[in-house]
Amino acid sequence: MVDVNTPRTSRAAGYLMLLPAVAVIALLVIVPMVVIARDSFAVSDPLGGNLGGFTLDNYAKLLDPVYAKTLGYSLGMAALNAVVCTVVGYIVAHYIATRPAKTQPVLLVLVIIPFLTDFLVRTFAWITLLGSGGPFISLLRLVGVDAPSLVPSQLAVTLSLLYAFLPVAVFPIYASMRSIDPSLKEAAADLGAGWWQTHARIFVPLSASGLASSVMLTFVPTLGVFVIPVLLGGGKDPLVGNLIVTLFTEFRNEPLGAALSMVVLVLMLLSVAAAGLILRARSNRKAGAV
Amino acid sequence: MNKKFLAFGAVALASATVLSACSAGGDASSTGGAGSGSLSIYAWAGEIPDSVIEGFEAETGIDVTVDTFDSNETMISKLAAGNSGYDVVEPSQYAVQLMVERDLIAEIDKSKLEGFDNLAEKFVDPSFDPGNTHSIPWAWGTTGILYNEACTGAEVTGWSDMWNPDYAGKVYMLDNMLSAYIAGLQVNGLSATSTDEAEIATATDSLLEQKPLLGGYNSTNYADLVGTGDACIAEAYSGTTSAKAVEANPDVHYIIPEEGGTLWTDSFSIVEGTANEDAAYQWLNYTLRPEVAALVTDDASLASTNAAALELVADQSQVENPAIYAPADSLTNSEFIVDPGDALAYFQDGWTRVRAS
Amino acid sequence: MERLNSWIARLVFVFLYLPIAALIVYSFNSSEVSYRFDGFTFRWYAELFRDQMLLESLRTSALVGVIAAVLATVIGFLSAFALVRFRVKGRAFFVGAILIPLIVPEIVLGVSLLTVFSSAGLPTGIVTLVLGHVVITLPLATLVLMGAMSSLDPSLSEAATDLGASPWVTFRRVLFPLLRPSILAAFLLSFTTSFSNIVISTFTAGVGTTTLPLRIYSTLRTGLTPELNALGTLLVVATLGVILLVGVAQMRRILAGPRP
Repeated sequence: MVDVNTPRTSRAAGYLMLLPAVAVIALLVIVPMVVIARDSFAVSDPLGGNLGGFTLDNYAKLLDPVYAKTLGYSLGMAALNAVVCTVVGYIVAHYIATRPAKTQPVLLVLVIIPFLTDFLVRTFAWITLLGSGGPFISLLRLVGVDAPSLVPSQLAVTLSLLYAFLPVAVFPIYASMRSIDPSLKEAAADLGAGWWQTHARIFVPLSASGLASSVMLTFVPTLGVFVIPVLLGGGKDPLVGNLIVTLFTEFRNEPLGAALSMVVLVLMLLSVAAAGLILRARSNRKAGAV
Repeated sequence: MNKKFLAFGAVALASATVLSACSAGGDASSTGGAGSGSLSIYAWAGEIPDSVIEGFEAETGIDVTVDTFDSNETMISKLAAGNSGYDVVEPSQYAVQLMVERDLIAEIDKSKLEGFDNLAEKFVDPSFDPGNTHSIPWAWGTTGILYNEACTGAEVTGWSDMWNPDYAGKVYMLDNMLSAYIAGLQVNGLSATSTDEAEIATATDSLLEQKPLLGGYNSTNYADLVGTGDACIAEAYSGTTSAKAVEANPDVHYIIPEEGGTLWTDSFSIVEGTANEDAAYQWLNYTLRPEVAALVTDDASLASTNAAALELVADQSQVENPAIYAPADSLTNSEFIVDPGDALAYFQDGWTRVRAS
Repeated sequence: MERLNSWIARLVFVFLYLPIAALIVYSFNSSEVSYRFDGFTFRWYAELFRDQMLLESLRTSALVGVIAAVLATVIGFLSAFALVRFRVKGRAFFVGAILIPLIVPEIVLGVSLLTVFSSAGLPTGIVTLVLGHVVITLPLATLVLMGAMSSLDPSLSEAATDLGASPWVTFRRVLFPLLRPSILAAFLLSFTTSFSNIVISTFTAGVGTTTLPLRIYSTLRTGLTPELNALGTLLVVATLGVILLVGVAQMRRILAGPRP
């Protein structure tokens, strides 16, 4: 083990420890991305083959407003889901982190257990629950409310997206919140800080890294979701993930799919970089204030 | 104390592994028998009943592995990457065309086949594979309409009913380009296999006009939606799902639209360069037997391409069920949906606009 | 307010288990259609245990999930530790690199991985499945562990060092125990992500290694069968059972009092 207090050796050890991750990313992410970048400029044939060569046609096709519309809708949906998941995730993570140490792992495992059941099977369970023959509607009818089926509806989509992404919101927030010194909270209470102040001034800032992870882990994958909008939302408005799958499969136009993927990729990189800059600016300001 | 918790997380997950490992262990010993080679099949889920696989293994001693795919395109991309390890695949009609052109499936040596003449006339020398040089059809069905009479309040006869504003919000179309265009083309009296740019544009306009009436696009649980009445009328494939829906609810009916019928069929093909060619031919010959082909109806509720198999189906009501076997008279003008070739671009442009509108 | 917060959290737990409850009820439904309850039956459980293909897929998924999650947690731990505790240069660059898989649409990653594997002559199977799953779970594990480490009070390890503890002892006795629940969190998140993945698996699975979600996804065209409800029920009940067992042991220890 390395001495944390001697920068030079520890730095070398640090690079050594990063090696496996760097190898995984370089070989299994960067290399495939180079392949995709190259394909996005390739000529396609109607059989679904890739003829190679160099053309800008694929990118030119993406100028069709149809793609911008789908992208805009997807980004809105993803943002909504990220906010909903992170708020609910924060509440749950805070609840878990404030239980006795022995109960915390149990609660963590309880959060994850439903996800051992297959995603599609769970989604179908939601359809059964919210559909017109299901208990929810029957209950409403029993008390005299003539409710229409909740499937398809935006509410059903939002609920099942929350359901699908909750653990990836809860876990990073919990991980960063867990190590907050409980005495801080007591100190805040002693100083007369209310619930709201305690959270706004202590818990939220100190779990900022977890909250940022949560937003990122729920925002980006929502763009790739394609089963939930179809099954619970009627599938009339495709998400960009849906469109990419269609391009790669049904349209068998790998180069066009690759081009759209590159656009999404660049957009994501830019938004992540922007978020990083904002976070850094904020933390610098705070450091200056202290 | 914490160590214990870390441990039980692992234990919890391990229990899942153990649960499955036990049962899978039993499987390994049962198939270990008089092994003489192996056969890897890549097929649609639910189209090869267990009874067929077990019968084949028992008779030949060949160890069969079946993997399942969710779309022709997935299967093709796996094979196109090379080195897939599969011996037999089960492409749909248009996928056969694509795979032949891309040299992914091998030419079938007819002299090695027994029972080829058991196939129904419709599937001998089909438009998508002249002379059955690369594919032996196994299961077939139609693309039609599933509707709930309690909801429509009237008998449904054709595609034009899917443009009826009375059903607004309760009309569902299949979430598949070529399937949607079957309705779009036929409702205008055009051929479902049209490759004409102007005709396809007409169909696109019809689909755009229909979109505000739609509850959604759905290729997965449309049969349940029709069953509960959340959908009045849905474009549907015949076979297992539709048959189940018709059986479960007397108000639910499956029809072939009066504007015309279209056929789909999934066939067995031998993968180019397979290492188990003999086993692959044994599989083709085994599945051509009438008593084996009948199992696809009895155990999977799908229509068999094997004419001699029909009378061997144990439950003859299945043969009478239009959601499985379309009545012969409704199929007089029916066509296979084949690959549109260069016209694919017209469909794509139109479909992209329809979906994003 | 604190109380309201707790009640919302408890409601979320109910929300998490609502579909599971529906699943359990419907696994005993004798009707083949999901929207109607016709009567009680064990038929689906019997069919489940006869369905060798499905059980084989479950085994594949569990195996791939455990290996991928262990690898992701170990590699993620090393990376997070290097990034948070050591002063490596280009920290932002490394963090960015590890997070790239999160912003790549899965289908793109899947298709291109298949291309890369096939040109490297690597046949699709367990190995390619594991590699593909490590890629998508590594960022999750790393983020969870980085979050946990960065909010650890650095004075803790300094204090330990001041008291004469060697770095290894500091790590083992101070840091590791504090991080343990987060390691569990990283492992669980990685496992379930791998266990439920469809898209990457589509392109990295090979002969005889169809994963459970792939198997289930491919049955969509012919309709999900009620035996899948039975399978889901068994998975959840088995896991809950283990927790209860461990929980009971825990209770006994608490009643017997802590060891001196």
